[in-house]
Amino acid sequence: MNAPSQVAVRQLSYAEAIREAMDLALASDPRVVLMGEDIGVYGGAFQVTGDLVHKYGEDRVMDTPISELGGAGVAVGAALTGLRPIFEFQFSDFATLAMEQIVNQAAKLRYMLGGSVSVPLVMRFPAGSGTGAAAQHSQSLDAWLGHVPGLKVVQPTTPEDAKGLLLAAIDDPDPVMIFEHKLLYKMKGPVPEGHYTTPIGAAALRRKGSDLSIVATSIMVHKALSAAEQLSAEGIEADIIDLRSIRPIDRETVLASVRKTGRLLCVYEGVKTLGIGAEVSAMVAESDAFDYLDAPIIRLGGAECPIPYNPELEKAAVPQVPDILRAARDLVGVRV
Amino acid sequence: MLDPDANIPFAVRHYSPAQLRTALRRMYLIRKFEEGAEESYTRGLIHGTMHLSIGQEASAVASCMSLSDDDKITSTHRGHGHCVAKGADVARMFAEFFGKENGYCRGRGGSMHIADVEKGNLGANGIVGGGIPIAVGAALAAKRLGTGAVTVCFFGDGANNEGAFHEALNIAAVWTLPVVFVCENNKYGMSTSTERSTAVKSIADRAAAYAMPGCSVDGNDFSAVAEAVESAVNRARAGEGPSLIEALTYRWRGHSKSDRNRYRAKEEIAEWIAKDPIPRFAQDLIDHGILSADEVQALDRDTDREIAEAIASARTGADPQASEVTRDVYTGRVA
Amino acid sequence: MPTEVIMPKVDMDMATGKITVWHAREGADVVKSAPLFDIETDKAAMEVESPATGTLRHLAPIGTEIAIGAPVAWIYTQGEVVSDIPATPDVAAPRPTVPASEAAVVETPDTARAGTGPRMTPAARRLAREGGLDPQTLKGTGPRERIQAADVAAVLAPRTPRPPGTGIPLVMIHGFAGDAQTWAAVEAHLPAGQTVITLELPGHGSAPRQPVQDFAQLAALMRREFDALDIGSAHLVGHSLGGAIALALADTRPRRVASVTLLCPAGLGPDLNGPAVRGIAGASKPESLGPWLKTLVADPDVITPNFVQVAAAQRRDPQMRAGQIELVDVLFPDDTQSFDLVAALHRLSCPVRLIWGKRDQIIPWRHALRAPGRAALHLFDNAGHLPQFEVAEEIAGLLQDLR
Repeated sequence: MNAPSQVAVRQLSYAEAIREAMDLALASDPRVVLMGEDIGVYGGAFQVTGDLVHKYGEDRVMDTPISELGGAGVAVGAALTGLRPIFEFQFSDFATLAMEQIVNQAAKLRYMLGGSVSVPLVMRFPAGSGTGAAAQHSQSLDAWLGHVPGLKVVQPTTPEDAKGLLLAAIDDPDPVMIFEHKLLYKMKGPVPEGHYTTPIGAAALRRKGSDLSIVATSIMVHKALSAAEQLSAEGIEADIIDLRSIRPIDRETVLASVRKTGRLLCVYEGVKTLGIGAEVSAMVAESDAFDYLDAPIIRLGGAECPIPYNPELEKAAVPQVPDILRAARDLVGVRV
Repeated sequence: MLDPDANIPFAVRHYSPAQLRTALRRMYLIRKFEEGAEESYTRGLIHGTMHLSIGQEASAVASCMSLSDDDKITSTHRGHGHCVAKGADVARMFAEFFGKENGYCRGRGGSMHIADVEKGNLGANGIVGGGIPIAVGAALAAKRLGTGAVTVCFFGDGANNEGAFHEALNIAAVWTLPVVFVCENNKYGMSTSTERSTAVKSIADRAAAYAMPGCSVDGNDFSAVAEAVESAVNRARAGEGPSLIEALTYRWRGHSKSDRNRYRAKEEIAEWIAKDPIPRFAQDLIDHGILSADEVQALDRDTDREIAEAIASARTGADPQASEVTRDVYTGRVA
Repeated sequence: MPTEVIMPKVDMDMATGKITVWHAREGADVVKSAPLFDIETDKAAMEVESPATGTLRHLAPIGTEIAIGAPVAWIYTQGEVVSDIPATPDVAAPRPTVPASEAAVVETPDTARAGTGPRMTPAARRLAREGGLDPQTLKGTGPRERIQAADVAAVLAPRTPRPPGTGIPLVMIHGFAGDAQTWAAVEAHLPAGQTVITLELPGHGSAPRQPVQDFAQLAALMRREFDALDIGSAHLVGHSLGGAIALALADTRPRRVASVTLLCPAGLGPDLNGPAVRGIAGASKPESLGPWLKTLVADPDVITPNFVQVAAAQRRDPQMRAGQIELVDVLFPDDTQSFDLVAALHRLSCPVRLIWGKRDQIIPWRHALRAPGRAALHLFDNAGHLPQFEVAEEIAGLLQDLR
């Protein structure tokens, strides 16, 4: 017989997977354009667009001036009238400069105009702490945008999903905000070839266990997974749900897991108060899954402070693996 | 070069009698639409406030003279006139004002978000300056897709101090986009005059910062506005980039229905009412033999009737269902 | 009245004391004079002995300043109903004056928060509700003695599922407005080897919500259920309306019925407490259900607020209530038992016994006197219409005598 049919799935980094998705979209759809600051020959602040400008030219991979509000608005207007822009913010923190166009225009135009238009716009936000960039370059503002009807908000955690969610976002007729954790850009993982999409609004069960449900977003999924290994050695088995999408949010996957385990731990990097953990907890409390809770819910979120510079302080400001271990043991009633 | 027609206004020279007749008709229609809206508001038919553009009809209609339905406009909170100028059906506009399901925005937008996408009106905007980057985006799409369309971006003097104005003009210039910025300077951003709010004497001077042509025209002179915009639209269509036109005009009414008019002198208002752009344009058309006085009177009467009928028919429209309050937040169904 | 345990004054100028440790837990049985808790004052620490024998309840929290003379716990005697913290009797002797700044705060123990029952997780509450357990009887092993799902499961486990037993199974049929849960207390006292099959009347418990035209049709539906059971013969046990059904079954399936046990059965006379029956069928909330439930028992105190809450929760389905209201009209028109099974009772050849509470306010126990002489009659002084709940152990004992 021939050579073994088993072909190892190739490994790409998270950044490479995003670039591949944009490459595929640029190649297959002339309406797709990339816009952002220094995404051309510079290759993007995190080298995500890389050398795409050489392949598609400056008309398709467009360096904008340092004008987040103007640039975002231009992307909104272009999406409204036939283009499919993918707008890259250098840092998710700079969304604050463009909030008007994102929240008042992109999110609301379809509704305000009675459904006569769509805004097929993708915005990419490098987010999160851990790079020593301090308070104005390290925030996790996903919940801010998750609060706005009209937007969709996703947070891929693997190279495979980074590509699949971006391709789904490009296909989507509505504005999709993608929060990419900066510390994940270099992470490698298997990425299928060609065009595929990861559904927006569907969580992924990353690990199965019966003792507690850990609902996490972004990089916290990885921290939860490494905590789960250690917990397993102690005889505690965790279900780990990677939300992937916070608007729309996959209610059923969360509730089914809580019904099974009776214990809920939410882990997210954004500031704890009024964050995604509050939403997930309320979702459980408002549903029949409430009757399955066998311990109070625990939320682990970012500290109530800006992200500090000092590396030890920076770590202390967001949940870490030992925090997850402690919370999980607490939930299942193990006293260490 | 000697121009034998130097004493004939540009508009009369440049547009057909039918186009000019339509233009005058639309100016009447705007005036009467605004008066009808005001009357309906008084009768309690309209929920919420509105911003009337009585006195600014010339700049709205003249700015759209060189546009087809494929060309786009972005409009402002004072956008009823722009919508009519771009060819909207006044009955559907009233239906929207009355919150009806058959209104332009199916009762979801109201006065401040009135739009007519089929005619190229991408919508009024409740955020001062909010439409300016969007207009630039529409111009980018037109350029990238090669449609040949031009976008006319309306905004008021208040918007010229918004960051969005400056960022958008800069981007339009560096990318040489087919967009014409029409600033309807009616002297006040709500209550604050341009003298108190704007560092430059003329908003047209802002164009210098973005290396684009800028000119200031009498916004109540139909022909002057039409000529300036026509030239800017031609430039945009030729791929030479954006222009900024300042149309000096005046709103007769207050900023909105809550305005107690504490910042304008009665004399100033009277002075501008005397400069009413509609009889001025009508007289031009009579003087140059385009329309007879009787024809003008007929337009005046016909538009009265058209507005009365539009209001009556709009009142009969169906109200939206409360159960559909979340419809059209997304294009597809979202769980 | 339970015995009050107070913060004792053990020192001359002591105004408040602090409990540093409890030697017995909430719900534990304590013996008089055994060490109960340690206290600490600003001068000394000492052990306090239990003033009574019984079950310890309503413990004051550890580490809180408590005024001397204030109650820190209550000791209940066997069988005494545990409810809210009893009101403290007025103390005649003047209490020591405490400077305002040092005024003691006596915290209400969480376990006795009025109306909410013990500290319990939602999962534990659900399991207890489904298993028909009174939360007051449960002990928590979770943090701060919280009752968790596992605590409830530990109590329920021996009962459900019952391992398949040997011998003739008991087939039990509940009464009007009841369900299979009515037998829970009796089942708890049955030996593990006893097979128990509970049948539910249409429109009750988890049985289909099915309209019934008359008693004959109801009996036919139940006969179909009985026929479908994969058993040879059965000891039939029926309560109230279920007793009438048991009689009807035994009358038509004599070869499959080894014996009949009837608890306060219907069908032996026309008398009936119609208002109570209609009141229970129609009650949609605890406030309207509670007073009627109290008419079912000899001692109304056994119907605790918690019992009412649970019972009301089980009657939440409006479709079920509507069906039962209709059934009252069909079976008990004008507050009269419309069907008569005295003749059927006389035809039975298998062993028959009747069990009745002498204080039954729903169906008079004297209906039992219409039974033939060979039927046995067990009358309980201290029971009403729910002997299976009021004297569960005795009923279980009687059922074990069946062979």
